[in-house]
Amino acid sequence: MSHTRTNQEWLHDLKASGVVQEAAIADLRDLLLRAALYFFSRNLGDFRGLSQEEITQRAEDCAQDALIAVMNHLSDFRGDSKFSTWAYKFAINMAMMAARRERWKGVSLDELASSDESHFFDWVLQDKSDGTAPEQSVMQTEVQKIIQEVIERDLTEKQRRVLFMMVFNDVPMDEVVRHLGANRNAIYKMLHDARRKLKSGLQAHGIEVGETLTLFGTSR
Amino acid sequence: MKRNRFERWLQNISKTQDEEISCSECFDLVSHYVDVELSGDDAAARMPQLRQHLDQCSACREEYETLRDLARLENKNELPSSNDLDDLIP
Repeated sequence: MSHTRTNQEWLHDLKASGVVQEAAIADLRDLLLRAALYFFSRNLGDFRGLSQEEITQRAEDCAQDALIAVMNHLSDFRGDSKFSTWAYKFAINMAMMAARRERWKGVSLDELASSDESHFFDWVLQDKSDGTAPEQSVMQTEVQKIIQEVIERDLTEKQRRVLFMMVFNDVPMDEVVRHLGANRNAIYKMLHDARRKLKSGLQAHGIEVGETLTLFGTSR
Repeated sequence: MKRNRFERWLQNISKTQDEEISCSECFDLVSHYVDVELSGDDAAARMPQLRQHLDQCSACREEYETLRDLARLENKNELPSSNDLDDLIP
């Protein structure tokens, strides 16, 4: 088996028929399986409780799904990368969704979607006991209040839910997508809009967001 | 919320642009970005909007990092076989 086809050879062989196509598909599937296994090997924590056989089966499923996706998108390949690099991303995408789904199954996201942001800055309050300068402490509290105000007043309910899940509770995007029945673009847009409002809200109070990094990063 | 996550979030807010590309657009371009990077060129300078999206989107960034590392192994003819990778899974 050779994986050293040029881009043109990949496209030709995958679009051919008979044994030529079969060989190309087999080679492609092997590449995609390796990509899925590679991702899984870097994220074994997502598969606690599963046997090696079960994990390998999930990788094979991802490779098969990725193979279908690649074949369906062959006409999208522009040749501005190696074909293998282009194809790998389909397998990595499938593998990531599978890994995160495994890790988060059984976790109720409803609770995380409605977190109370008043605990958001608890660690800031804790840090004040470490000798934070009074002026810095006042500024931190000011920034905290502005952020809370923007979240409560300017964000939509959906933006708040996504913010609480992804930013406050570190829920992976694909799990948020699944929970809300949305897609990545919609979730990204919600977070983008939320960031824009927060940036504007801070700037409206004369605070450049970049300056807040120093404010919260040097309290020790 | 952990301090480092909060600081990262502040950085993200600070670097927010009015127009940002979507995850679909990122997916479409990321393989080219990786190959440019592995060729030694400054991919971030050539594709700043994609770089900006990767900085903002943890899901796309994780996929990009895996893709980059995998492609780098392939370029060095060090791509693990399926059996090798299977052995990494306990």
